[in-house]
Amino acid sequence: MNIHEYQAKKILNRYGINIPKGGIAYTPVEARRTAARVSSKGPWVLKAQIQSGARKKGYFLEKKTGNGGGIRTIKKRTEIVKNAEQMLGSTLVTIQTGPKGKTVSRLYVEAFSRVEQSFYIGLAIDRVNAALTLLAANTINEDISNLAINHPEKILRMPLALEGKTNMAQVKLVMEFLRLPKKCGNSLKRLINGMHQMFLDYDAAMIEINPVGMLRTGALVALDAKISFDDNALYRHPDIKRLQDDYEASDRELLAAKYRFTYSEFDGSVGCIVNGDGVAMAAMDLLAKQGVGTACFLNVKGGVDKDKIISGIKIIMTNPRVEGILINILGGFLRCNLIAEGIVSAASEVGLNVPLVVRFEGTNKDEAKDILTKSKLPIIMAETMEEATKILVKSMEVND
Amino acid sequence: MSILLNSDTKIICQGITGNQATFHIKRSINYGTKVLGGVTPGKGGGTHLGLPVFNTVKEAAQATGAKASVMYVPAPYVKSAVIEAAEAELDLVVCIADGVPLKDMLEIKSVLKGTKTKLIGPNTPGIITPNQANMGIFPENIHTKGHIGVVSRSSTLTYEAVLETSRAGEGQTTVVGLGDDVLIGMDFVDILKLFHEDKETKAIVLIGQQGGTFEEAAAEYYKSLKNPKPVIAFIAGRAIPFGYKMGYAGDVITGGRISAQDKKDVLEEAGMIIVDNINDIHLRLKEL
Repeated sequence: MNIHEYQAKKILNRYGINIPKGGIAYTPVEARRTAARVSSKGPWVLKAQIQSGARKKGYFLEKKTGNGGGIRTIKKRTEIVKNAEQMLGSTLVTIQTGPKGKTVSRLYVEAFSRVEQSFYIGLAIDRVNAALTLLAANTINEDISNLAINHPEKILRMPLALEGKTNMAQVKLVMEFLRLPKKCGNSLKRLINGMHQMFLDYDAAMIEINPVGMLRTGALVALDAKISFDDNALYRHPDIKRLQDDYEASDRELLAAKYRFTYSEFDGSVGCIVNGDGVAMAAMDLLAKQGVGTACFLNVKGGVDKDKIISGIKIIMTNPRVEGILINILGGFLRCNLIAEGIVSAASEVGLNVPLVVRFEGTNKDEAKDILTKSKLPIIMAETMEEATKILVKSMEVND
Repeated sequence: MSILLNSDTKIICQGITGNQATFHIKRSINYGTKVLGGVTPGKGGGTHLGLPVFNTVKEAAQATGAKASVMYVPAPYVKSAVIEAAEAELDLVVCIADGVPLKDMLEIKSVLKGTKTKLIGPNTPGIITPNQANMGIFPENIHTKGHIGVVSRSSTLTYEAVLETSRAGEGQTTVVGLGDDVLIGMDFVDILKLFHEDKETKAIVLIGQQGGTFEEAAAEYYKSLKNPKPVIAFIAGRAIPFGYKMGYAGDVITGGRISAQDKKDVLEEAGMIIVDNINDIHLRLKEL
């Protein structure tokens, strides 16, 4: 689960990390008031609160928004309302949001910080080495995404302990790697320790401060902040769960999440129902090879509750983008007959007006086929996943 | 021969009295798996499915001589269950549960480093050695004994890979589901090593997916082998557009190499046989 920049900054600040003075605004008038409160003379920074990086380089889909991106530095007080009007309610597209972008419902208004130097710092999990890892790099000449691919040697990677604090030798190493002046030593120690402690206390999956800015005094300030939390550990942190922004997910995603299914939407026209993310990916690959894109996939995992399965199937059947449905179930713990019953019930409730191809394998496969045959619904059955995708693509052409 | 599991492997089940465990352990026993007892804290002294139930793994291991455990405990209790199995010095633990917190897995991995206990999973269908033993939730009826080793990071695609070996007229030595999670116990390198040493295994089917760098590590290892056994690899996820994410830290960790296409390239370069369509695996197997 991701949270917004301003929420992340608030949490980091509780761990002793400096943040610029700022406040949240839902309307242009609020933006002006907040600006006056955080700095009397400016400049100010208006920051679109959507859960994505690269907001500064992003662009808005609407025409009224002017040329600026999702992060704007404003020098004149009179420009604040105009820019806030342009940004609020508009759709911001970045390299991380996909082409549909995300609607900006609130702005974070900050006092501009004059910094002498800035750098990248992050905490994430190295999967192969199974280690909590600190990442740090100078990003003056090249941004972090380019460094990651072209100059991995310019990024420091340092494993951190699973308890206790980052030790002084490690802090010193980071300082030398980033060639930071001595005056920021204490602040760096507090920054790293704060991130480290916060990561462990809150079951984070990733923390990123990009960039950290160094003020003239040597104090380090988090100019941006991103935190992702481990979904599997949210049960231990009800206070974090409350921060979940329902506006960031579609209604169908929320519904699927309620049933503990995974559901993702894409730009194509086929709706897939599968049991396993790998199967979903393999099915999408097969469809793509035949020139057909996927609209959405629902992973019902090992579901055993029939009512939930019916609700899940309805999510796909009622998605207006879906022009054909592929159901590929490899029954292990999940019994195929349960899915078949779910298909019949869902179709009787919401109707079935697009081609539907089903492939069953594994537990109770024959029983499942029997249920579908007896239902007299216009459902086609296939033996392999490849065959299923081919039949579906053909039926969709005929349907046109 | 087989790897990790055969009909002589003595097994206990952690969390045996739960619903899921009851359903699957019954199937495992019917398949011939040597399940000798179970553990449910607080229910020690009783019996379940005709097997003795113990309060601790240590007691169960001492009484039954078991060296392996398949656990059906829910995610929040996995950490203590795995650590308990490691302290009882079991050789192998298979963890089926999904949803284990990352931090718990980091701690588990760090504890296991100093022990001889190997972990499969979490979020895995388990391990099956056809006609011998099933430690997990595999649909047994699709498996046959043969010469192909199967190792997969995707749970349900494991079944698809098994069906492909059957379509090629072959069977499997052992099938290992590594697990779908961010952090897992044994990885491709560990299992490839075992298959490489196993005399019965003539070829290997490897199913990877986008994310992480487990496939890249496998490529490095495979390159280092003299006379490697043929590996047919499929990587799921090429059609998934990238960029629907937050932050860069993931890219930094992996050097940007996380797409399915990247993985396919490194595995191919290492000398594995790559299929673009999972349903082509049987064709490549027939050619061997």
